Amino acid sequence: MTATASAPAPQAESEPPRSRAAVDWLKGQYALYILVVLLVIASLTSDAFLSRTNITNLLLQMSIIGVVVMAQLIVVLTGGIDISVGSALGLAAVLCAGIFNGDSVVLALFVALVVGGLVGAVNGWLVSFRGLEPFIVTLGMLALARGLVYAYGEGIPIQPGAARAFADIGQATLLGVPVLALIWIGVVLLVTFLLYRTVWGRRVYAIGSNVEAARSSGIPVRSTLWSVYILAGLLVGLGGFMFICRFASGTALAGNLLELEAIAAVVIGGARLSGGYGKVFGAVVGTVIFQVIANLLSLLNVSTFLQDAFRGALILVAVALATVQFSRRRKTPAPVTT
Amino acid sequence: MAAEQIEAAAEALPAGQVAFTAVGVKKHYPGVKALDGVDLQGFAGEVLAVCGANGAGKSTFAKLLAGVDTPTEGEITVTGYPHAVRNAAEAEQAGVLMMHQEPLIIDDFTVGENVWLYKLRMGRDIRPWARKVDSNSARTREVLRDVGLGHLRTDEVARTLGPGQRQMLSLSRAAVTTHKIMILDETTASTSEEHFGDILDLVRREKQAGTSIMFVSHRLNEVFAMSDRIAVLRNGTLVKVLKTSETDADEVTTLMIGQALKALDRPAPAQVEGKQPVISVRDLRGGSADGVSFDVFPGEVVGLYGLVGSGRSSVARSITGQKQAAGGTITVNGDVVQLSSPGAALRRRIAYLTEDRRLEGFVKDFDNGENMSLVVLPRMAKGGVVQAGVEKSRVRELIGEYQVKGGPKTYTRTLSGGNQQKVVVAKWLEADPDFVVLDEPTKGIDVGARSNIYEIIHALAARGKAVLVVSSEAEELLSLCHRILVMRGGRIAAEFDPEDADTDDLIRTALHAD
Repeated sequence: MTATASAPAPQAESEPPRSRAAVDWLKGQYALYILVVLLVIASLTSDAFLSRTNITNLLLQMSIIGVVVMAQLIVVLTGGIDISVGSALGLAAVLCAGIFNGDSVVLALFVALVVGGLVGAVNGWLVSFRGLEPFIVTLGMLALARGLVYAYGEGIPIQPGAARAFADIGQATLLGVPVLALIWIGVVLLVTFLLYRTVWGRRVYAIGSNVEAARSSGIPVRSTLWSVYILAGLLVGLGGFMFICRFASGTALAGNLLELEAIAAVVIGGARLSGGYGKVFGAVVGTVIFQVIANLLSLLNVSTFLQDAFRGALILVAVALATVQFSRRRKTPAPVTT
Repeated sequence: MAAEQIEAAAEALPAGQVAFTAVGVKKHYPGVKALDGVDLQGFAGEVLAVCGANGAGKSTFAKLLAGVDTPTEGEITVTGYPHAVRNAAEAEQAGVLMMHQEPLIIDDFTVGENVWLYKLRMGRDIRPWARKVDSNSARTREVLRDVGLGHLRTDEVARTLGPGQRQMLSLSRAAVTTHKIMILDETTASTSEEHFGDILDLVRREKQAGTSIMFVSHRLNEVFAMSDRIAVLRNGTLVKVLKTSETDADEVTTLMIGQALKALDRPAPAQVEGKQPVISVRDLRGGSADGVSFDVFPGEVVGLYGLVGSGRSSVARSITGQKQAAGGTITVNGDVVQLSSPGAALRRRIAYLTEDRRLEGFVKDFDNGENMSLVVLPRMAKGGVVQAGVEKSRVRELIGEYQVKGGPKTYTRTLSGGNQQKVVVAKWLEADPDFVVLDEPTKGIDVGARSNIYEIIHALAARGKAVLVVSSEAEELLSLCHRILVMRGGRIAAEFDPEDADTDDLIRTALHAD
C-alpha cells in the first residue's frame, strides 16, 4: 500500500524499479529476520559458535536435512505432503550400506537412488493415479519403510564394507567447504532451476495453486504429480547415501523424525501447505534456522529433551509470524477495475 | 404435523399484513449493477413471484432478502424485526427461510438427519449434551410423505438421492422450521413434473399458515400455477408488479425482455457451402445431454442456448475433453476422436473457455504473464526450459493486443471480471485453436469488456475458426451468431437463424411454452 501511494510513477504498468522490488522482497522475508536474530544471539552467547570446527559441523548437519527439505518443498508446492521422507531415508541408508556388502561407493549411491526413487514412485502413483490423500499414503509408507529398516538390520547398525571410502567422502572438503554441503548446494541449485526455469516447474506451481485450472488448461496433472513424488524420492535416496557417508553406518533410527524438521523448515520458509506458493530460498533459510537452533542449544548444553521443546516452540512462533505476514499482504493489492 | 404448523403460525403474521419491505435497494458488484433501486413489498399468506431474464437481478434480490449478501444502498426490513437484516443469521432470526437453487444437503447424513438439519443451529443454545431430534420418528416420515418422498427410508444416506429428490428433501424442512417468509430461489430448476405437484401442495400449506412466499423463477407456467402477484425485473430495476389473475404469459414475457438492446454489428456471413465441418457431433450423451447432434463449420459462430439443466454445459464440456462423454461420436476435421482429457482436446486444436473463471479459468497464484503462457508454455521452451525472454515479450504483446488492464506482473485474481476473461481468452487463443467453445463468455462482465469479447469472437470467425458460444442470454446469441441451437431436456429442440428469430422464440422454445 505504502509503496504504491508514495510513488505515483507515470509508468505504473511497467516494471517497478529495482530498488523498490528489493524493498518489497525484503518485506516478506520473515524467516530471514528470524535467522539474522538467531545468528546474532548465537555469536554473542557462545564463543564456540563461530569457530571453524563448529561451522563445518553445522554445515554437515544441514546438508542431509537440506536435501530432504528440497524434496519436501516440491511435494508441498503441489498441495501434498510427504511424511515418509525420514523412514525412506533410513531405508535407503541401510540398504545402500548393506546390499552388495557396501563395497562400492558408486554402487551404494545407485542403490540409494533406486530405493528412494521406488518409494517415491509408489507414493506418487497412489496419490496421482489412485487419487488417495498424500497424508495417508505417506503415513503408510512411513510405517512400511521404517519396518523394513528394522527387519533388514534386525536392530544392529549396518556398516558398509568400504566404510573408509564412505567416511572419506563425508569428511572431504573442497576449498574448505565439506563435500556433503556442496552436494546440498548442488541440489538447491537444481531444484531452483527446475522450479523457476522449466515448463515442469511452472506446472508444479499451477497444479498446487489451482488443480482445476491446470487440468482444464491441458496440463498433464497426473503424470506431473507422479514425477514430483519420484523426484522427491530420488532426493531422499541421495540423502540416505549422504547419511552413510557422514556416519559410516546405517542405524535402525537413521532419519527418524526427519519429516517433522523437513515440513517445519518448508513452512517456516513461507511455503503454503495447501500448495501453489513457496520459494526455494525460504526453504533453505528454514533449514538453516533449524540447524542453527539445534546447534546453539547443544553448545549451550541444554538437555536434549528440552531441545525438542524449543524446536516445537520455534515452529509455532514462525508459523504465527507467517500468518501476520499473509493477512497484511491480503489487504495490499488494490483491485484494478475497469 | 398440527403442532409444528401451530408453532409456525405463532410466528407468522395474519394474512394480508406486510411481511417484508424493500426500499431503494441497490446492489453493485465490481463493474456490474445487479440491482439498481428496487422497492418491493411481500405480504403474509401470499405468493409473490419474481421474474426476469438471466441477469435481471432476481437471484440477487433473493440473496439480499435472505441476508446472504448486503445491499450497497437501501434496506430490506422484515416486519417484527427491529432493524434492517444485515446477515444470514439475522435473517434467520427474523424468520426468513431460504431454499437455495442448489439444495443444501449434507451427503453423508441420512435422509432423516437432513430433514432436521436446521435444528442443529439452535442460536445461543450450545449445550453439548442437548439431545438431537430423533431423525427416524413418525414425524420425520410424515414430513417426508408431505413432499412426496414417503417411499424413502429415513436412515438412507442422502448421497444416493437424485437431484429432484434432493430438492424436495431440502424443501421438507419448511414443515419443521419456524419462519414467516419462505424464498424459493429457482427451486424448480432441478425438479421434474412429478415433484411440481408436491411443491404446489407445500406452498398451499405454507400460505394457509400465513407465510409470505417469494418464488424466484423464469419458468412462466409454474409462476402462473403458483403465484398471486408477479414482480418483473429487468436489468436490475423493477419494471412492474402485476396481479397474476389479471395478466398472461405474453404480457410478462414482453415485460421481461423489454426493448432489445442496441444491436451489435452482425457477423459477416459465413461461407460454409462445400466445406468440411471442423467438428461433427453425433448422438452425444453424458451428463444432462441425451442424444445431441450438430456440426460447426469453419468461419461460423454457432450459439447454443438453453436453460440451466438443459444439457448445454454437458455438451460444451464433453466436446472439449473436460468431461468424458458417455456415448456418441465426435469427429474433428474428418477424424473420429476420443477426447479423454483437456490435453487431448488441445492436441486436436480445441479450446474451452470455462464459465467458472475463478475455479477453472486461471491460476490464482499466477500473474497475468504466467496465466497467459500456461497453455502454450511448451512452445516457448527449449528442451523443457522456458525461454524467459520469449515468454516476456510475447506476454507484453498479448497484454497490448487484448487491452488487459495491469501489467504482466499483476495478479490476475485482482482484476475485474472482464479483464480476467481477457486473460483467459488470450491464454487459449495463443494456442491457435481451430475450434473454440466459449461457455457463458460474458457472465459477470461489464458492457465495455463485453463488446471487446464480441469483437474477438467475430475476429476469430473471420479468420476461419469455428466457434461455439454457449449462453443463457438469448439477446447475446442473436447478435453474435450465424446459427442458434436451442436445447431443452438434453436434446436440441430447434435451430434458428438469428435473422428471422427473436428472443421470444428462443425463450419459448427453451421453456416449451408455446
